[in-house]
Amino acid sequence: MKKIKKTLAVAIGLMLMLFAGAQENWPPLDNSPMDMIYLPVDYPILKIRKSAPETPVIKIIYSRPQKKKRTVFGELVDYGSVWRLGANEATELDLFKDVKIANTKIRKGRYTLYAIPYKEKWTIIINKENDVWGAFAYDEKKDILRTDVKTEKNAEPVESFTMMFEKTGTGANLLITWEDVKVSLPVTL
Amino acid sequence: MTHPPCNLYSIVIIWLCTALCACHTNPQSGNSPTADTTIFPVPRQESGNTLSLLDKSPLDILYYPPEYPKLKMIGKTASLPVFRVIYSRPQKNGRKIFGSVVKYGEHWRLGANEATEIEFFEPVTIQQTKVPQGRYALYCIPQPTEWTLIFSSDLYSWGLVIDAAKDIFKFTVPTIRVINAIEAFTMETEKSEDGALLWIGWDDTKVALPIQLLSNKNQ
Repeated sequence: MKKIKKTLAVAIGLMLMLFAGAQENWPPLDNSPMDMIYLPVDYPILKIRKSAPETPVIKIIYSRPQKKKRTVFGELVDYGSVWRLGANEATELDLFKDVKIANTKIRKGRYTLYAIPYKEKWTIIINKENDVWGAFAYDEKKDILRTDVKTEKNAEPVESFTMMFEKTGTGANLLITWEDVKVSLPVTL
Repeated sequence: MTHPPCNLYSIVIIWLCTALCACHTNPQSGNSPTADTTIFPVPRQESGNTLSLLDKSPLDILYYPPEYPKLKMIGKTASLPVFRVIYSRPQKNGRKIFGSVVKYGEHWRLGANEATEIEFFEPVTIQQTKVPQGRYALYCIPQPTEWTLIFSSDLYSWGLVIDAAKDIFKFTVPTIRVINAIEAFTMETEKSEDGALLWIGWDDTKVALPIQLLSNKNQ
């Protein structure tokens, strides 16, 4: 009888391996989902319509927390502290060619974007330490740009933290907005 | 308290096995028209949405080593990650996925929206093939018993259109049945004996792509 039990146990084990494998803790969807934006705007769609240039210029990957009736600036996001410009992993800036951001030449490459928000202005930071979580290990020594942009008011509060590019005569503005605040970072091509 | 006799155990166990086998041999049926894969995207700038809404199939990112950004945050790693994947996560929403929403034998973007992207920060070996570091678009041709995972140079594209002329590597892996349906399309990495496993799962199916590391970075 012992032998039968053992055989059955092995059989069950094999079945479980066959059906379950090792991986069963699939991660759930994120509360602050990730999103990406391109310059040119909607580059991947332009690409399948055969109307895109050879390569994109910029890709930004960021996470989108929601306001959910909370006071964002000054409470959820402290004034005067480095903020990951979103949630979860810090925001990533991928430049496919050299561009000028706030009149400073930034070389092609991958960077992390942060901001220090204040009431009247935000300090936008481009930092070269990549693949990081939040701003918890932020190292000022790895900054390659700090630039101030003034805050503007939104007519309607924005529920989800949003970034988008808006075309200008010389390139684009990166609009960053949440709640009733918006800032605009000039990019020159 | 007395234990039930052994043959009762056996009956329960045999019943369990039969039940599991029945699940396993469930025919892959279903031929309703595709939903996700035929919707053509409207660019945000043309749709009139000045502030884009949250996506129904949100983007997500995963790294190997698993949770690399958090390891970095707590000072547990100083080197680059080995690889990462950026993909979108559609949900099952009560639909039958494989053989229906995702058709057998046709290319599938392994997610939604933009093509899925895999980036290797160092060369790796997959099925005896050396894969150089760099970025690849990653898509799949699913079949009931196996999936072919394809690395392509057709980057930064919307996943509906695949240019097969830009395929670089193809790896075929067996499908594994999942007991509890996976609601959101999910990828995950796991450490293996000689490197990493890239797990991909949705609905009743999952696959694992074994990736061997050249470096000794497997913590």
